[in-house]
Amino acid sequence: MGPSVDFLGRDVVSARDFKRDQYDTILRAVEDLEKSRESLDGTLNGKLAALLFFEPSTRTYSSFQIAAEKLGMRVSGFAGPTGSSITKGETLHDTVRMFEGYGADVFIIRHSKMGAARFAAEVSDVPVVSAGDGSREHPTQAMVDLYAIKKAFGRIDGLKVGMLGDLRYGRTSSSLAYALSNFDVEITFIAPEALQMRPEVAHFLTQRGVTPRTAAGLKEVAGSLDVLYVTRIQKERIPDPTEYEKVKGMYEVNLEALRDAKPSLKVLHPLPRVDELSTDIDETNYAQYFVQAAGGLPLRMVLLNLILGGAR
Amino acid sequence: MLVSSIEEGTVIDHIPDWQANTVSRVLRLDKLAKMQADVSVVILQNVASKRLGRKDIIKIDRWHVDESDADILGLVFPGITVNYIDEGKVSKYMPRVPDAIEGRLRCPELNCISNTEREPVTTRFATLKKERMLQCQYCDALFDFDKVPDHVRT
Repeated sequence: MGPSVDFLGRDVVSARDFKRDQYDTILRAVEDLEKSRESLDGTLNGKLAALLFFEPSTRTYSSFQIAAEKLGMRVSGFAGPTGSSITKGETLHDTVRMFEGYGADVFIIRHSKMGAARFAAEVSDVPVVSAGDGSREHPTQAMVDLYAIKKAFGRIDGLKVGMLGDLRYGRTSSSLAYALSNFDVEITFIAPEALQMRPEVAHFLTQRGVTPRTAAGLKEVAGSLDVLYVTRIQKERIPDPTEYEKVKGMYEVNLEALRDAKPSLKVLHPLPRVDELSTDIDETNYAQYFVQAAGGLPLRMVLLNLILGGAR
Repeated sequence: MLVSSIEEGTVIDHIPDWQANTVSRVLRLDKLAKMQADVSVVILQNVASKRLGRKDIIKIDRWHVDESDADILGLVFPGITVNYIDEGKVSKYMPRVPDAIEGRLRCPELNCISNTEREPVTTRFATLKKERMLQCQYCDALFDFDKVPDHVRT
């Protein structure tokens, strides 16, 4: 895989910014890498990745760090606000400028504020990859999710995808919805009214000619889905605690809730899970979430290699 | 009711009745007081109008409203007319819907990076003309043109 002008030097701040053929290129490259696992090792020798995680993260941080290191990059930065100058009040702007001065070739940024990645991309002369900004987006997770779907079914087109849980504040759901709008899929949003997709996501999908269905609970749609994407409903997002207790059970995914599901259904979850996804599914054919998580590393290697123009 | 004509300045006409205060807020006319400028403002409310039945008018003596501010006003009140007066000559400015508005509005999303203290972010909103909405170019939040007065930066 040689350098691609489609990707070279570009920022990855929104899943909206990529088109179908670009998603196809990424997914194909991940397949290739999984077949030949060492094929990208060392392609970005000597380059510097700045991982600026203003919010704590374990999985995303580690997968980017290992991806960068396998590509031969040096890694610098921080995995959370503790112990960094962020606790002293250093701004995102100044942190980016500083690491740029240290010779960063790419920024990988997680931040609690919506739009932080796009702002960083304006400040920086080198590419910025968002590792999640507030409840807005998490574009590389959407790519990981697409790959997990593709891996399970051999295709994405023609599938019925249910997205369940906190769609309003869940950044992975927004990005996945944007990404899926490039494919011929039927999307159903399964969430209580207060946690349905944000207006801007719904607006974008409408512009793209995608009309998602909505459902208030899993039961009414479980039997029709090929893919169920589960995210957690956080208690603090629902203003009325009694309301939370009422809806909680409707969004817990366990074997009982999947009684009517197709045998071929695949359940995805960006992890970590709390109690929305029962461990009784782990050993069934429904569980695709560990395969999904494993895709994070090759996906991020491919993406960094594409935007930084690594050889091979 | 008679108000004398002005030689230099701006007359904002065809404001929907009782909306002059909103116009004043969007234009941040209170800033004029802080500037201690030699400017007089007359606000006429609920005046008879052939076109509108009733309307408000704002006359600002010795101060020209920026065209970009007039455009923002036009988002809220599409029928408004802005007349610039130079040496007694009137030139009409019809506000246009700009492609984007920079720096003048705050994002309604409190968790937007543009609402973060000390980050040097200039707000930028794209106008979605057909939908009559603005979209934050950082966090993607949407809001209606009608809500612009609520989000003017003070």
